[in-house]
Amino acid sequence: MLYEIGAPPAERSSPIVVVESLVKRFGSFAALNDINLTVAKGEKIVLCGPSGSGKSTLIRCINHIEKHDGGRIVIDGIELTDRMADINSVRCEVGMVFQSFNLFPHLSVVENCMLAPMKVRGLSRPEAHDRAIGLLRKVRIHDQANKYPAHLSGGQQQRVAIARALCMQPKIMLFDEPTSALDPEMVKEVLETMVELAREGMTMVCVTHEMGFAREVADRVVFMDRGSIVEEGDPDTFFSAPRTERAKSFLSQIVH
Amino acid sequence: MNSLDFSIILQAWPYLWSGLLFSLALTAVASIIGLILGTCFALVQHFEVPVVSQIVRGYIAVMRSIPLILVLFWFFFLVPIVLGHLSGNGRPIPIGATYTAFITFGLFEAAYYSEIIRVGLRAVNKGQFEACQALSLSTFDTYRNVILPQVFRVASPIILSQTIILFQDTSLVYVLSLTDLLGAASKLAQLNGRLVEMYLAVAVVYLVISSAASQFVASLRKRYALAGVHR
Repeated sequence: MLYEIGAPPAERSSPIVVVESLVKRFGSFAALNDINLTVAKGEKIVLCGPSGSGKSTLIRCINHIEKHDGGRIVIDGIELTDRMADINSVRCEVGMVFQSFNLFPHLSVVENCMLAPMKVRGLSRPEAHDRAIGLLRKVRIHDQANKYPAHLSGGQQQRVAIARALCMQPKIMLFDEPTSALDPEMVKEVLETMVELAREGMTMVCVTHEMGFAREVADRVVFMDRGSIVEEGDPDTFFSAPRTERAKSFLSQIVH
Repeated sequence: MNSLDFSIILQAWPYLWSGLLFSLALTAVASIIGLILGTCFALVQHFEVPVVSQIVRGYIAVMRSIPLILVLFWFFFLVPIVLGHLSGNGRPIPIGATYTAFITFGLFEAAYYSEIIRVGLRAVNKGQFEACQALSLSTFDTYRNVILPQVFRVASPIILSQTIILFQDTSLVYVLSLTDLLGAASKLAQLNGRLVEMYLAVAVVYLVISSAASQFVASLRKRYALAGVHR
């Protein structure tokens, strides 16, 4: 329980992410169209939808890897503007896990986890090392700490990426299709890590098509299509009785 | 023709050795200047710094289209005149053959290294930049700790190959009346008339040093291929 220690109950339900009338365009193409989304502290949200629906773009806007063109994004009370100071303070609170891991290939596993805490959070090398080993143990990969990413399997690399993000002690974790680039037999180990993180109370926004994970963990499923949120609800209702035609046809295609 | 007499090499060795040391020193200094400047040039272009990047691009184009020997001449004769004008009294300020060689080789190599590093920067996966952003690393830390180390690892075999060429090109300093390995051999050869022995000996020295360096390049390639840095 690294996060939320001593948080008063009232604060637990307060929103940590507020997205209002968000618009993102790529040229003339509207990738996101008037998106409104509020994430409460500790809430787990699964974003799903057909490819090109804007779900990845949405979470990439939340930590400003993509710059939004309209609307507001407020993370833990800080509004994302063009000011670098705001962007950096937001990014410090938001951890991100990518589909393609994006580990640093020239650094060992433990160095991957130590770099940002030392450079951004100002930790000393031993402090950063201890924290890194602790979190690598948590994702059960501490015995590979001195190996290089290229020597690990995809699933192991993705767990290192999760540990690397956690080393910054973020308040929110964003997952951008974390299992899509993995061989099927490695999906489970990554999902188990994510489930564990969810159980500890981390606020999570996950873009994923792993419906089993969504059912088990999500407080809310948000279904997107063509840059808009089409439907949202608790996973049981969404999966068993989707209200919209688009959600129905999407689910019929992915649930085998 | 007289039979070959290689004992002459042993007698000549101290002089050849001093020439070789000069060649190696020039290679080392020029490649350090070239790497530092070249990295700056590459970054200026990578960040598309207005005006400066156009100037740098022009400089690189000029350097890469002129033979090194001509650059040496220009630098040796022109820079003292320019310095003289700048200092105000109009009299040329000589900078000396050795400094001319070190600076000119460094400036010349910078143009080549910069192109290698620039291509290396473009080859770094976009995801690496995004991961740095997501971790809130500053631009400086991103380049210093993540991007440039990868660029140097990927580019180091090509950088070293370029440095081997530089080592061979140091023989051009004869135009400045400096004595490198080849210069030393040719002076001795003229004195003692043992051209074949002297030139064979320096050829062997060049061969040994260059091929040892090439071996090193090959082992670097292999190591980085194993570590998965290449791709």
